[in-house]
Amino acid sequence: MADLHINLAGIKSPNPFWLASAPPTNSGYQVQRAFEAGWGGAVWKTLGEPILNVSSRFAAVSYNGQRVAGFNNIELITDRPLEVNLQEIYETKKKFPNHAIIASLMVEPKQEKWHEIVKRVEDVGVDGLELNFGCPHGMAERGMGSASGQVPELVEKQTYWVKEAARTPVIVKLTPNITDITVTAEAATRGGADAVSMINTINSLAGVDLDSWNTVPHVAGKGAHGGYCGPAVKPIALNMVAECARNPLVNVPISGIGGISNWQDAAEFILMGATGVQVCTAAMHHGFSIVEDMIDGLNNYLDDKGLASVMDLVGRSVQRYSNWGDLDLNYKIVAEINNDVCINCNKCHIACEDTSHQCIDLYTEDGRPMLKVREEDCVGCNLCSIVCPVDGAISMVERPSTIPPMTWNERQTLISSLSK
Amino acid sequence: MSEFQQSMEEIQKIDQYLDKGYKINDVYENLSGMFVEFAQQEEVAVLQILTADARKYFAAKLQEQTSLQ
Ligand SMILES: Cc1cc2nc3c(=O)[nH]c(=O)nc-3n(C[C@H](O)[C@H](O)[C@H](O)COP(=O)(O)O)c2cc1C
Ligand code: SF4
Ligand code: SF4
Repeated sequence: MADLHINLAGIKSPNPFWLASAPPTNSGYQVQRAFEAGWGGAVWKTLGEPILNVSSRFAAVSYNGQRVAGFNNIELITDRPLEVNLQEIYETKKKFPNHAIIASLMVEPKQEKWHEIVKRVEDVGVDGLELNFGCPHGMAERGMGSASGQVPELVEKQTYWVKEAARTPVIVKLTPNITDITVTAEAATRGGADAVSMINTINSLAGVDLDSWNTVPHVAGKGAHGGYCGPAVKPIALNMVAECARNPLVNVPISGIGGISNWQDAAEFILMGATGVQVCTAAMHHGFSIVEDMIDGLNNYLDDKGLASVMDLVGRSVQRYSNWGDLDLNYKIVAEINNDVCINCNKCHIACEDTSHQCIDLYTEDGRPMLKVREEDCVGCNLCSIVCPVDGAISMVERPSTIPPMTWNERQTLISSLSK
Repeated sequence: MSEFQQSMEEIQKIDQYLDKGYKINDVYENLSGMFVEFAQQEEVAVLQILTADARKYFAAKLQEQTSLQ
């Protein structure tokens, strides 16, 4: 059994699975039940200025029978009194001294406001702080959340103010509602952040009801943009984590968030540079017990890979993530169809014929319909294997290149050296 | 003509110039493709290359020529 303990910028937890700041961490009752279920840490539902929530808050996007492919919410931060939350944090920490409790915080961008809340939450024994610079709705209109998280100077300054007062590690939670997340990640690092976490939710409107013409969700006939999360956002989150992990100016640990639903998702984030992960939607969809499979699955995976500790997995794929201009233009793969398992649905043929390079030929052999890829015309786009419903019917196979490797950047340097 | 055949023909033309002792003298790319200037003593010939595979092949040949120099 591998060691699943993590140490994220000094915050220790028995495993890398934390609940993200959201409804699952709204109260001591919930967080204590989550710890009993096996979660290693919890980022408490964001504490801050008093707010009010509306009724009708969530919506989900189902896709072809898959419920909650994406999740949308217009909920704000906690609406419970600060004192009550602090009391429950204190009690939970006392009962679970080895689990990580991180206080998520959001106040107006003023030095004294940050100093005050930092002091109050640290007095009840939290293991760390997470600054919520990401909430895209409701708080942003008041200059908080993503409104300040989109401005690098404000990220840096507020992180700095928190660091002036903080005794525990400070994680800055970044908004994905920005063109280049490394810019705000760098700002957080300059401000003294001990770690960054990403992503918060992505601006979204879940849908429009075709009968009533109301937005989904609506509040008495009116809607407002919400935040999108769940499985649909995973690729966006994973890229943002990877971009930060490979940026030398973001030289702090990363807590990965966004669409993580099982141990495989978690392992991917860890490989791409996350020291631990946070989960919200999957817990809301399936309950706290999903963490059992996550722990078992990660444990088995680490054993299979011969790794003694999950910390040995952190960042192992980062150096494989590069710029497009550094990819080998002469690397060649082609599709290969196994007619023994093919069910002749012809989806691959249609996809290639209509939308790719017209190189899957149909023919018959002994009266049997068959398919064959004309390799010389195949560009190795993967589309046929993506649309094929049968595992193993289409493999993408490497073909040796007749010319040596060359990247776009190398090619441009070569050509420009000639023109001089 | 298939794109593959077209690229094979362009690759052949590149090879023909090189086999005849021409050197790649200059190259520029614009919206109409790649234009390669081959030169041998006083003789200069310009070849327009359209296909992606032939443009990749050309770069490999240019690399060979440069590393021999
Ligand atoms: C209903 C709901 C409420 C949320 N509230 C907060 C919050 O108060 N503070 C915060 O930092 N993030 C909040 N989030 C964002 C989550 O912490 C997390 O960043 C996001 O949902 C992506 O993770 P997921 O795909 O696992 O859900 C909320 C998310 C949801 C769905
Ligand atoms: S990989 Fe792309 S180009 Fe090749 S056969 Fe499949 S769909 Fe066609
Ligand atoms: S999509 Fe897959 S199963 Fe369908 S015809 Fe193509 S190879 Fe066969």
